[in-house]
Amino acid sequence: MPELRKTPMLDQLLDGPFPSFVKEIKKGAEKNDACNDLLGQLELSYEEKITHWKHGGIVGVTGYGGGVIGRYSDVPDKFPGLTEFHTMRINQPAGWFYKTDRLRKLLDIWEKRGSGLTNFHGATGDIILLGTHTDQLQAVTDDLAREGWDLGGSGSDLRTPSACVGPGRCEWACIDTLDIVDTLTRRYQNELHRPMWPYKFKIKIAGCANDGVASKARADFSIIGTWKDNIQINRTEVVNYVNAGFDIIGQVVDKCPTKCISYNPVTKSLSIDNSNCVRCHNCINKMPKALRQGKITGATILIGGHAPILQSAFMSWVIVPFMEMKPPYDEVSELLEKIWEWWDENGKMRERVGELIYRLGMRSFLQATGLPAVPQMVLHPRTNPFYFWSKEEVNQ
Amino acid sequence: MVKTDFGPPKYLDMMSDLCKRNYGKWKYHEVLDTGTLVHVAESGEKLYTVRAATPRLMHVDTLRAFCDLADKYCGGFFRFTSRHSIEFLVEDEANIEPLKAELHAMGYTPGGVGNTISNMLHTQGWIHCHTPAIDASGIVKSVMDEVFEYYKEAKLPARLRLALACCLNMCGAVHCSDVAIVGVHRVPPKVDDEKISKMCEIPNVVAACPTRAIRPEPAKKSVVVNEERCMYCGNCYTMCPAMPIFDPKNDGAAIFVGGKVSDARHPAMFSKLAVPYIPNEPPRWPTLVKTVRLLIDVYAKDAKEGERYGEWINRIGWEKFFKVTGLPFTDKHIDDYIFSVPTFRSTATFKW
Amino acid sequence: MPFIEVNGKQLEVDEDGFIQDPEQWNEDVARYLAKTEQVEELTEEHWKIVNYLHDYFKKYQIAPMVRKLCKDNGVDLKRIYELFPTGPAKGACKIAGLPKPTGCV
Repeated sequence: MPELRKTPMLDQLLDGPFPSFVKEIKKGAEKNDACNDLLGQLELSYEEKITHWKHGGIVGVTGYGGGVIGRYSDVPDKFPGLTEFHTMRINQPAGWFYKTDRLRKLLDIWEKRGSGLTNFHGATGDIILLGTHTDQLQAVTDDLAREGWDLGGSGSDLRTPSACVGPGRCEWACIDTLDIVDTLTRRYQNELHRPMWPYKFKIKIAGCANDGVASKARADFSIIGTWKDNIQINRTEVVNYVNAGFDIIGQVVDKCPTKCISYNPVTKSLSIDNSNCVRCHNCINKMPKALRQGKITGATILIGGHAPILQSAFMSWVIVPFMEMKPPYDEVSELLEKIWEWWDENGKMRERVGELIYRLGMRSFLQATGLPAVPQMVLHPRTNPFYFWSKEEVNQ
Repeated sequence: MVKTDFGPPKYLDMMSDLCKRNYGKWKYHEVLDTGTLVHVAESGEKLYTVRAATPRLMHVDTLRAFCDLADKYCGGFFRFTSRHSIEFLVEDEANIEPLKAELHAMGYTPGGVGNTISNMLHTQGWIHCHTPAIDASGIVKSVMDEVFEYYKEAKLPARLRLALACCLNMCGAVHCSDVAIVGVHRVPPKVDDEKISKMCEIPNVVAACPTRAIRPEPAKKSVVVNEERCMYCGNCYTMCPAMPIFDPKNDGAAIFVGGKVSDARHPAMFSKLAVPYIPNEPPRWPTLVKTVRLLIDVYAKDAKEGERYGEWINRIGWEKFFKVTGLPFTDKHIDDYIFSVPTFRSTATFKW
Repeated sequence: MPFIEVNGKQLEVDEDGFIQDPEQWNEDVARYLAKTEQVEELTEEHWKIVNYLHDYFKKYQIAPMVRKLCKDNGVDLKRIYELFPTGPAKGACKIAGLPKPTGCV
């Protein structure tokens, strides 16, 4: 083993209260050349203020069209350990729950066949195995498959769906986020492993309006848990909060966006005009022992979220105000498949579904999916008079 | 090929019996301190969570050490959050303190629960990405070291989501964060006429440009960039290795503020531009760190309890925001892309 | 840049094995590349798709989208993976001499 590369700049990131990633790479560098060379190349990047990874790289495993991202150093003579340093995405268990014996198997395989460096997790949600050679990719995939770990998505496919912790731990899960994400992931394995669409498609599932997985910001198709009926109030607990000094007026009543909460300081009781509640979750957030969601639960479905490329970032917008989410979630699947079909047929290369709707219009989208137009879809109706009529709608 | 298309491990296999017994039957939770939560089920059973931020990039030995802790204190069960923090799922209350002590010994500090900074969402940067304008992990380390007190202690009016994207592809989708750092380029790409026809699909390169700054140059079997129209997003380079856009003298970071994904009180909002450009200053990015610190300190001091960053700015107004932070407001701050007009102020009611 | 040799001629390829000069592509090159993508022999069914891709690229300077590829050739994606185990992008497009498709983003 050659000695550790000298990294005076990176070494300045070893100390400090936040855990050091440089320490992590050094752990690997003591065991293999790839990590040692990674230290060296990263130090060079720090000196030159530029990346040293070549553009793209397309590698893969048999039968799949994605799940592996090719990476090659652009200075392999200096850092031969990084000549090939590909990334593998591994589909995480729903809600990122782990049992040590299962995870240890994955770690052992990775240490044997790769750099030993990982990301927990990638931004989409997969486990990232960072850095291995082309000739190890199939072996890693096969070894992991024997232990029940499958690759995640990449390219113009269904990217690995993700979900919040949901009913695994959280009292605010209006829907079984874990079962939904698990079901959809298994149902759409072909779409996940074999890119076939204009561009990527992301599904993220949040159990409540707090949107802990940033579904509205990051997913083309957002499933957000909600309820239809009344917030449940535990009167005793309300009194307990007040007696403990909680500022119920300042933090709950005054912050209600529709001013539908009233508080009687004499009786120390809270009442909610549910017909005017928009279920923003603030009051429940602030008083989890006293307030609970309604009992008739389901999901709001939104579409169109994505990052700035190409036409500015979009947040997804409402297309189905309320969908019952009963296993096996056929209603969601029916909708997804209609959307995919319309998007695949009409989408330009690298056009996200939100951008396609922007280009062709919600009218076209609603026709394709059979969804009704409802006021919940918009903040307000259009302000311009440039709307279309079909031939059937006008007098002949 | 062993088997394919079988999907992830079943999550129920990754859950303790207590979790499975109380699945979907949780009653309420309490924040015990900035690193500890307890969830109480309807049955009365309790599940404690000890959360700690990780650097996202970790060697398998570190994961193994976490597994050892989980085996010792959690029956082997733990999870990760969507923002790179580990959560140990503890059933015996007596295990909490010893677990925390061992985490500290490992160099990990519990935190990020409640009105804190939880962890800084980020991606690959110079460690593995081919399109970054800035590094990721180095900036995250530098910033988190600086603002660590806000991670460890509940000193903020509300939670603050910090995020970083090393280029405009925004693989971490930081466009709805309280404070987001985004890598930006500032000069147009250079076209390699020799290589482009061999390496790139020219119609896709032309179509990749958000401002239509690229047109084909059939005589040279290449493309030409209208430099006046180019706003250096780098999407052409994403499509085509023959159009590199890196410039170490000019690449750097922008800071956007005021976004959120939660709908509580106010619906989710995009982050808005606060600082157009800070140069790369590896290894610890002092100017960037100082600016982020300033942005957080001003908010911590001025905002009212329960106000997220964006809600605070909504209340005081952007005019006041630039005043209290002392940040310059420039022509760069004013939108000139396709959704610009609705962002202009069509009223004479503003603060001085 | 690495090289491959086909019929005594040297062709430059990138690290993923995609040929760098589309002008140099011919059927022998395709046969050579096919072996690198787990296609031992190019049958008539293979050639239909390979020639389609090559011609499409020549005409439009881009690779066709998957949907179009399937529709125009009367095959479904499943069949494509049976013919080209490494898929339409890495497998079929490489064999047909197209440039490397863009990657992860």
